[in-house]
Amino acid sequence: MSVTSSDTNYVQLEIFPSRLLKPETAQNLLNEIVELEGIIRLFVHGPRLPQTVPYGPATGLPVHHPGNSVIEVAGQAIELAVYIGSIRMEVADSDVKEQVREVCEKVLSVSFEFREGNFIPRRQTVSDYAKRGPDSDPLMTGMTDPKGKLKDQPVCILKPDDME
Amino acid sequence: MAYEPQYYPGATSVAENRRKHMSGKVEKLREISDDDLTLVLGHRAPGSDYPSTHPPLAEMGEPECSMRELVEPTPGAKAGDRVRYVQFVDSMYNAPSTPYFRSYAAAINFRGVDPGTLSGRQVVEARERDMEELAKFQMETEMTCPALASLRGATVHGHSLRLPEDGLMFDMLDRCRKEGDVVIMHKDQVGRPIDKKVNLGKPMSPEEAAKRTTIYRVDNVAFRDDLEVIEWVHRVFDKRTTYGFKPEN
Repeated sequence: MSVTSSDTNYVQLEIFPSRLLKPETAQNLLNEIVELEGIIRLFVHGPRLPQTVPYGPATGLPVHHPGNSVIEVAGQAIELAVYIGSIRMEVADSDVKEQVREVCEKVLSVSFEFREGNFIPRRQTVSDYAKRGPDSDPLMTGMTDPKGKLKDQPVCILKPDDME
Repeated sequence: MAYEPQYYPGATSVAENRRKHMSGKVEKLREISDDDLTLVLGHRAPGSDYPSTHPPLAEMGEPECSMRELVEPTPGAKAGDRVRYVQFVDSMYNAPSTPYFRSYAAAINFRGVDPGTLSGRQVVEARERDMEELAKFQMETEMTCPALASLRGATVHGHSLRLPEDGLMFDMLDRCRKEGDVVIMHKDQVGRPIDKKVNLGKPMSPEEAAKRTTIYRVDNVAFRDDLEVIEWVHRVFDKRTTYGFKPEN
């Protein structure tokens, strides 16, 4: 049988600032986080930003929201589709967790909640199976944009060398 | 002695603000010109005549009716204006007003208005010039903070979200932006770009917003702190249950 779950010993964290983060702040925070050793995977979460007005008399007009910008994390350009409200991640152990907390205290000017829990599915769900089929990479489990398309490659591999 | 309505019980600042909103005795904090208001409402071009849906009442020759003689029509009804709407969204983070209190303010202090109260937004329909009078009143006074309340005809999402870092309530259509220390609106209430930036004034500081809000919050003035309000809420629920029960049936 194929492996369908990531390592269950990994620690999952959520950073939940008291304010929604500007793209610049989010970029600074993410850049500091990806520098740490032992970050397995992470995703950003928040209210979606539409490209065009979805309803009303102005339907179809472009929005040009300042939150809908391109940020650069670990040398890779990432186009934000959401205004960042929280960051959920999987790290190797609780030492890394403390390092992440220190980074947040350094970068974030607003107060934040920092908690450990289950935020990313560890085992393949029906949705994962439907999107990626059997024998998919366990690291990709749960890493998907519910409103995005897989062909748009919603997952960025930031440090391909570390994949070995 | 003439009767003075009391409007709302309670001794806290929130109860006092609720009384202010309901009675219409609110402080004017900013100035918004008629043309600016027309621009952000987006129903007609600024400076143009009010389009009408019927001829002025004086020309129509109304039927003889004691009620029509008794009730003076509003200026909008007299002129035959179209019915148009204004819709406000108030943040849960200490916005000065809330949908219920905007509706109370409209229904108590203005004539010919049809307030609609929803969980996160409040809409008022009225004849166009009557609606503009109400919109101007609510936007210029302490009932509105340009950062914590906003004019949103469509796509009202944002009232229950955390505030972004700049303190302006999240708006996925980006109608308002902070420029310097003032808030400007560069799109109308439904998200169409407008010709000029409309200055909505300075946002309230967090301390001022906490002082002027009509929202009970545990981190500001808690609902449970207002004993008189609790007593009256219990009384209303008690009476409603008693009379709703109808034991004679």
